[in-house]
Amino acid sequence: MKPIFKRFELTVLFLMLPLLFVSPVFADSAEEYDPDGWRVWGEDYWPTEPVRGGIARAASPIYIGLMNPNHFPVLDWFSISHMYEKLINSDARQRPTIPWLATSWEYLDDVTVRMKLREGVRFHDGTKFNAESLKYQMDWVMDDKNHAWTRIWLEPLESVEIVDEYTVKWHFKRPWGAFLGTMASVPGFMISKQALMADSAINELKMLKRLIVTAERKVEEARDAAESAGDKGPSFSEGAREKVKKAETYLKDLEARKKEAQKLAKGARSLDSYPVGTGPFTLEEASYGNYIKLKRNPDWWFGKSIGRPEMPYFDGIKVTVIPDPSVRMANLKAGKIDFTILTPRQYRMVKNDSNIDVNVYPFDMLFYLVLNHARGPCKDIRVRKAISHAIDRKALVVGTQFGQARVATCLYPGEHWAHNPNLDPVTYDPELSKKLLAQAGYPNGLTLTGFSLNIPETQTFSKAVMGMLADVGIDWKPAFLGVTGMAEPFKRLDFDIIGAIYPLVQEPDHIASFIYKPDSFFNKGRSHNEEAIELIKAGRKTVDFQKRKQIYHELEKVLYENYEDVWLFYPNAILATNKNFEGFNNELFKKYGEGYYFSHPMWFKDGHP
Amino acid sequence: MKRYIVKRLLYAFLILFLVSILIFIIARLLPGDPIQAAAMMNMDLANEDIMNDLRAQYGLDQPAHLQYAYWVKNFFTGKWGVSFGSGEPVFYMFLRRLPVTLELFAGYVFWSFLIGFPLGVISAFKRNTFLDASITSVAITGISVPVIWEAIVLIYLFSVYFQIFPPSGYVPFSENPVENLLCMAMPTFVLGTHTAGMYMRYVRSSLLEVMGQDYIRTARAKGLGEMAVIMRHAAKPAMIPVVTVIGIDFAYVISGTFLVEYMFALPGFGRMGIDAIAARDYPVIQATLLVVALFILMVNLAVDLLYGYLDPRVRLK
Repeated sequence: MKPIFKRFELTVLFLMLPLLFVSPVFADSAEEYDPDGWRVWGEDYWPTEPVRGGIARAASPIYIGLMNPNHFPVLDWFSISHMYEKLINSDARQRPTIPWLATSWEYLDDVTVRMKLREGVRFHDGTKFNAESLKYQMDWVMDDKNHAWTRIWLEPLESVEIVDEYTVKWHFKRPWGAFLGTMASVPGFMISKQALMADSAINELKMLKRLIVTAERKVEEARDAAESAGDKGPSFSEGAREKVKKAETYLKDLEARKKEAQKLAKGARSLDSYPVGTGPFTLEEASYGNYIKLKRNPDWWFGKSIGRPEMPYFDGIKVTVIPDPSVRMANLKAGKIDFTILTPRQYRMVKNDSNIDVNVYPFDMLFYLVLNHARGPCKDIRVRKAISHAIDRKALVVGTQFGQARVATCLYPGEHWAHNPNLDPVTYDPELSKKLLAQAGYPNGLTLTGFSLNIPETQTFSKAVMGMLADVGIDWKPAFLGVTGMAEPFKRLDFDIIGAIYPLVQEPDHIASFIYKPDSFFNKGRSHNEEAIELIKAGRKTVDFQKRKQIYHELEKVLYENYEDVWLFYPNAILATNKNFEGFNNELFKKYGEGYYFSHPMWFKDGHP
Repeated sequence: MKRYIVKRLLYAFLILFLVSILIFIIARLLPGDPIQAAAMMNMDLANEDIMNDLRAQYGLDQPAHLQYAYWVKNFFTGKWGVSFGSGEPVFYMFLRRLPVTLELFAGYVFWSFLIGFPLGVISAFKRNTFLDASITSVAITGISVPVIWEAIVLIYLFSVYFQIFPPSGYVPFSENPVENLLCMAMPTFVLGTHTAGMYMRYVRSSLLEVMGQDYIRTARAKGLGEMAVIMRHAAKPAMIPVVTVIGIDFAYVISGTFLVEYMFALPGFGRMGIDAIAARDYPVIQATLLVVALFILMVNLAVDLLYGYLDPRVRLK
């Protein structure tokens, strides 16, 4: 089964784009950073008092998909993160430092963490969030039969031990430096134990029903075979009867299991369609492909804990699917929606609109070119170097992102805690590229194969890159394929260059392992840098933050010097809201990231639109 | 006439057979294994036994000709499969979205026929006048403007600037008739204007041609008024080339429906088809294509039968 899930890791990551709302990066230096700085309300944060009421209307290009964050595909992480909450939130430098459903944590040794959980938090179904629910969830994720794509991230986890109702001990198989970063990511979204149990029962029942169909067919086949075997003699007949018996026993066993599962699944609802988290909103209604409506959770713990029980301020949120970006913007201008994310091209069209507020903040999505070191011309560092110097990254930012992006140096964005500040972006030098190609034995240029994902974001930059490469004599004409279409040629390493996106750079180990460990899905042996692999291993097992930081700085240096890939840029996110929308303090957001965002819900000036 | 109908039906089946083969081949030319794609979307399928069984159910482990036979048999027995994306039976997905698309068609008929035809007649009646030139200019504009551009312009004009119609979305007629008409006004207009312009041009030129015939001169000589000549003697024969165009043009209308549903975020089966292609939702893609093919064939069959009504010579051949 593993290959299937490894394959869809890529899809999941490509489709995590809507996390736009929850991943700003920190603009200030580390020295100025106050870890509790997000804890400001009142006038320091917004000059007017929040007002309760109204349904906030948003537009999304795509329907939410499944609503269990551990299942594939979840396509609207904005809505998910309003229904579920994580144990830890990241600050704007992507450090997992902000206590949320976990109040504190401590490494007892390299393989044990003691974590205190927040008391008084209840899931939307009324059940308690506590050590028992957390342990059940982690066991559920790690159990293969639940098909949680997130289990690959929990591989170093040995077990979760319940110390008391609100304390757990995490036991690791080996030192796990990425643990906190992982808990500030998708596996950290907390789900009701009752809902998970119901979900398992439903899935078990569905699977058993399908297995029974197969088993019934096999019984029939065995019986037919037994009938025809009767003519061939007693030994054949005996063997065939044995096979029938075996098939019948298996079928009976499945039917017995089905009865048990039916009892458990009676009245249950699938988490994929009925999410049960602890977040400020619950699901009210979902119309597949069209919209979802969220309803205010009146029992939300956070508002009460800071003496603001009126939080969240909206009565609900409606997210409507509007595929075309121009039509989304028209809806905003016509006052039919209250907020949406704009494309870079649209920014200039609305920045001076007196009815719309526009907030721009950096977003940690990496656009890059994947190079195949395993075969073909990119094995040669001179070719890789030539490709890298042939790309004018600034022109890409201006031409494809309308200036709304930051040039990339290596894996991690400039503000990310793991970024090596001593590295500069690779310079644009087409003459050098031509010389390098000549030295590598391609004085007249060369043709490279490859592909890109068939979404507008990758198509645009891939076409621009194509032109830049052509200027130095490299003929690269990527095929634009869907995820399924890309999987096969990637597995066969049948490419030279791929135009790719890594949707959200948070925990540094996740992206590094995903891209540069030869056994990972998005490597398959196409890059095998021993030094980098050792550093990735060291980063994963190092618990001390400062030491980890040094390791990732070193990792970036190694990758950079070996021209491992061509890292291009990180786009900005452009949030447009109507003027009635209040409470989005972009400066605090840029400084304190999701720690700020989830603790400062927005409201309508007049209480309703 | 019976013989004519049977002959047309046989042709329709032959074409449907050829189209279904084409759809079958196209679906299989898409890269990747559809069952593995399904397993990516549905956790309960992600089991090697189940995947093999599904391959067997869809006949994907069989030779191509048998696969085709399974597929056709399942389609015509209502077993359209289950959507990989929503987990719903595809047949019910179609039924739920059909009213939206049918309403869009109704709007298209309204704009194309009720505007295109009378304008064509007026244009022919007032040929070579300022009115004729004006109508012709409007018609040519309607034909030339791409659907997407027209949709965007109308949305910004009537939703953002004048704020008369909602920019996108759908409200069922049963829920709020006024809202329903408001939200369908622009999409149907966009879909109808191209064809209205075209029909107007065809009606005009066809009428002008017929109006030069001897029997029209005879009708005039009998003392009939110009409108009576057109309506009683010229309209029916003038419709023959127009009806031909309607049949041919219906494929354009269908593709226009896909675009209009996408642009105006209408939950019809055109958008369902586009979403299915993006998500590689194999059962939905195949069913959408075949339903579209059936629609086009039915309209063309109706056109063929209409020939028989409009021109008795066709029935006699």
